[in-house]
Amino acid sequence: LITVSAFIREVIGQAWVKDFVITMDTSFNTDLELESIEFVELAEKLQSHYEGRVKFAEWLAEMELDEIVGLKVGQLVEFIVRCQ
Amino acid sequence: MTEANGLIFHTQVLGEGEPVALIHGLIVSNLAEWYFTAAPVIARNRRVLLYDLRGHGRTQRPDRGYDLTTMVADLAALLDGFDLRPVALVGYSFGGLIALQLQRKHPDRVSRLALIETPLPPSCAVEADAFSRMTVEQWLVASPESVRRTMSQGGRRAERFVDSMRALVCDTSLMEDIAAEPDISDRALEQVNCPVLCLYGDSSACLESGRRLSQVLPDARLNIIQGGHYLLSDAPREVASRLEGFFDD
Repeated sequence: LITVSAFIREVIGQAWVKDFVITMDTSFNTDLELESIEFVELAEKLQSHYEGRVKFAEWLAEMELDEIVGLKVGQLVEFIVRCQ
Repeated sequence: MTEANGLIFHTQVLGEGEPVALIHGLIVSNLAEWYFTAAPVIARNRRVLLYDLRGHGRTQRPDRGYDLTTMVADLAALLDGFDLRPVALVGYSFGGLIALQLQRKHPDRVSRLALIETPLPPSCAVEADAFSRMTVEQWLVASPESVRRTMSQGGRRAERFVDSMRALVCDTSLMEDIAAEPDISDRALEQVNCPVLCLYGDSSACLESGRRLSQVLPDARLNIIQGGHYLLSDAPREVASRLEGFFDD
């Protein structure tokens, strides 16, 4: 969660997010208001950090659009843990 | 990030296998439109290149160069950079025109074309005159569901979306360049010598363009599925499935 939160803050890059408490239950869409292109950037940063061990495309291929829109930070963290 | 044709482009490459390049539409779009819909499905069996068009997403936003000739040169340079040839090109809306014109210019580099909701003549792509005369309410009604949702929620995302759209429409030559694009003649379309899938929504205003393309292009098939112009968000699974079927044929 610490690693993912740091990358989320880097991608958003605005002052308010420095003090925003990111938890496993934080929603990318409603709480962080992440733009879709920012989510792509986040995926790129995590992929680079984990040296390709985290296959976002394969994960997304299993999801419906509504599920992606409803994603929470905890689901991403759990997916990364499963990839390790 | 990848340098091509004098600009820094935001790119993504997914998967392994036969190469496919996916090209998004104008203004309200970027590579995320593919990344969260058909791209991950296609990338299960293929090497997929995604990129943000000039001025869109995270690619640099030059003041000029939004005509088809320049945007075709952008894609050709990216294909060279990633050594993708021959490649299947899939373009949504204006992206389909970039794909079509690249095939006409470099027929040896393209194995197949899929044109999704591609409008003709090209100047219709942003309905340039109508767009500039619309009220905010009219524009929202004509926009995809994802944009309506973003705008109605307001907040940070809506602000950023409006800022980036305003910069593209007001601070670049995009509208002027697209409005000045000539039609592509039937004689020119008849020269396209690879298989083409024309994929359109049954309630889309662009459907007539699909009928024209599928009648004039020598090796084209028209697939009409349920949805409007914004097929990638209206029917992402169906689009991916039709593309897979076309690639495997």
